[in-house]
Amino acid sequence: MSKATKDRAAQAKRIVAEQKARERRRVVTLWTSVAVVAVLVIAGLVGWGIFAGQEKDNAGSVTTPPTAVDGGTAFARGEGPVTIDIYEDFMCPICHEFEDAAGPTITQLVDAKKVTVNYHPIAILDRYSTTEYSTRAAGAAAAAAQGGKFYEYHETLFANQPEEGSAGLDNAKLIELGKGVGLTSQTFADAVNNKTYTGWATKVTDTASGSGVTGTPTVLVAGKKLDNPSAQALTAAVEAAAA
Amino acid sequence: METGQQARRTTVLPWISTVARLGLAAVWLIAGGLKIGDLAASGRAVNAYQIFPYDVAKVIGAAQPFLEIALGLLLLVGLAVRLSAGISAAFLLIFIAGIVSAWSRGLAIDCGCFSSGGELGAGASPVYGWDIARDAGFLVLAGFLLWRPRTRYSMDGVLMGDEQ
Repeated sequence: MSKATKDRAAQAKRIVAEQKARERRRVVTLWTSVAVVAVLVIAGLVGWGIFAGQEKDNAGSVTTPPTAVDGGTAFARGEGPVTIDIYEDFMCPICHEFEDAAGPTITQLVDAKKVTVNYHPIAILDRYSTTEYSTRAAGAAAAAAQGGKFYEYHETLFANQPEEGSAGLDNAKLIELGKGVGLTSQTFADAVNNKTYTGWATKVTDTASGSGVTGTPTVLVAGKKLDNPSAQALTAAVEAAAA
Repeated sequence: METGQQARRTTVLPWISTVARLGLAAVWLIAGGLKIGDLAASGRAVNAYQIFPYDVAKVIGAAQPFLEIALGLLLLVGLAVRLSAGISAAFLLIFIAGIVSAWSRGLAIDCGCFSSGGELGAGASPVYGWDIARDAGFLVLAGFLLWRPRTRYSMDGVLMGDEQ
């Protein structure tokens, strides 16, 4: 064989090898792409499925406190014509500040029979404690409402608000705080220990999110959201709604 | 016949791509991992953008952490890197669009990028500029991989039999 023929043969071989490699790459790219899409679709469906399961489990464990109003999502205080809705999380420091700043004004409005306050204890800050304190505290508040002491208990929970990132208050402490406001019954202690109303707290949170509550505190006067909840804004809105 | 410069490019670029691939994988794994423990909160974070009805936001919020982790794992093993990078870029563009939209509407929310997000309290100001800059940085990683998807230690390389 001449040198030229040998070169041609080698070149032909190389071209065939390159074509084979290209073909292989094409097939690999096709099937890996199919695999990637399949993995992502399955992952998304798994997430949806797990979440749907969690929602279903929770729906099965909801015990709505009999004294709850507004579709079983809130506890009412006062009997005035103007409705104030307050969405609060017991782990939320700004809710605590709002309570300190506007609490006396709200009490005056309630005493003057100008307003009915619906307190919605929701739990959106479970990630701020290691023990889902938001949910447990909201559940305990529901138990306090059954003992007729929602407002007193709500105040003591804010006064004893745990630090963000801590373990929150344990159930024993929640029960002890209840005793401090006159909730001495075994029923209250059992409801806290057995987490009777935590499923309800999750449902109330879900209902609130569905109606556009994306943070706490959210304060509505006669159904209208206050942009910057403060004592003055609250008074002004109540007067406007009553007029 | 390769020049010295070309040779350098063919040896160095796959290593840069490898770093980009693993970096992007870490981003997705961390982002998804931080959200997967509380799917309801993830849904509320999506809802806080006030773009989708709550029921849709819940489904997106539940699926998103799983998608992020799946994408992270795919990039980690290096399977169909160009496609994975393309999907990453698409997700990042959607996230940036969401943040811009929240910013332009004056919403005060946590972007929920690496947490379960939600509305910020009074006094806390959002840091949309930083969030967008960070996502844009991740977008650069994804863009580099789109341009140069060949990486070291990848499934693609093993399957194609032409790497290393």
